[in-house]
Amino acid sequence: MDLQERRGIETDVYQPAEDSRLLADAVCERLANVGDGPGGGRTVLEVGTGSGYVAGRIAAETDARVIASDLNPHAVRQAREVGIETVRADLVSPFVDGAFDAVAFNPPYLPTEPDTEWDDWMERALSGGEDGRAIIDPFLASVGRVLAPGGVVYLLVSSLADVDAVAECAGEEGFSAAAVADHSFPFETLTVLELFR
Amino acid sequence: MKESLLEILCCPLDKHDLELEDAEYEDDEVVGGTLVCTECGERYPIEDGIPNLLPPDMREESPA
Repeated sequence: MDLQERRGIETDVYQPAEDSRLLADAVCERLANVGDGPGGGRTVLEVGTGSGYVAGRIAAETDARVIASDLNPHAVRQAREVGIETVRADLVSPFVDGAFDAVAFNPPYLPTEPDTEWDDWMERALSGGEDGRAIIDPFLASVGRVLAPGGVVYLLVSSLADVDAVAECAGEEGFSAAAVADHSFPFETLTVLELFR
Repeated sequence: MKESLLEILCCPLDKHDLELEDAEYEDDEVVGGTLVCTECGERYPIEDGIPNLLPPDMREESPA
């Protein structure tokens, strides 16, 4: 499946798909199993929220306060319309140190040729550069700053972006990685990595 | 945005605190105004209730 097929008819905001659901299921289940119950008193950030689906699931299924960010102005508006607190942001750059008990991210990860240029918001939502990790690597380098002590990261990774390479990069940033959910499709395997320090 | 969101927001450039100026409220939400960095003075608009905290060099970037 290439970008063109995956884009479908929506050109502004990435709509929930299998990867969104896998991430939402994993985060809700993990948050219910730690600390003092279903997300009580915790603050969770979803980076690159798109339609707001994952953030909405976390808000509905746990007691955590959920904040969602996206680069895309259409996405933050769509997520706000479904009742989520949103911030237009580049990854985690405008959040204070130690702000979040958990950060979830379903990043753009489809490897794309360097000369592929649609230059619309959907391409930005899907394309992970030549190795699929053009957004994942800077995210891993910066997310540690905004995590509270004991905070965790839930990162959706596709086999297309090389899960081992992502785990290795996370290791270089001081994280241990554990796969907490996965799902195989004919063309890729999706894994949710839990990153902790 | 809720005013309490300010507690976890900072300037994306230098990570200093932000101050809310010219706030417009609707019920208990801030729907307009500007967030100003207390250190570098950079200004970030609140548009339709959503703070735009992109660094200035990314703010104008708008694909199709």
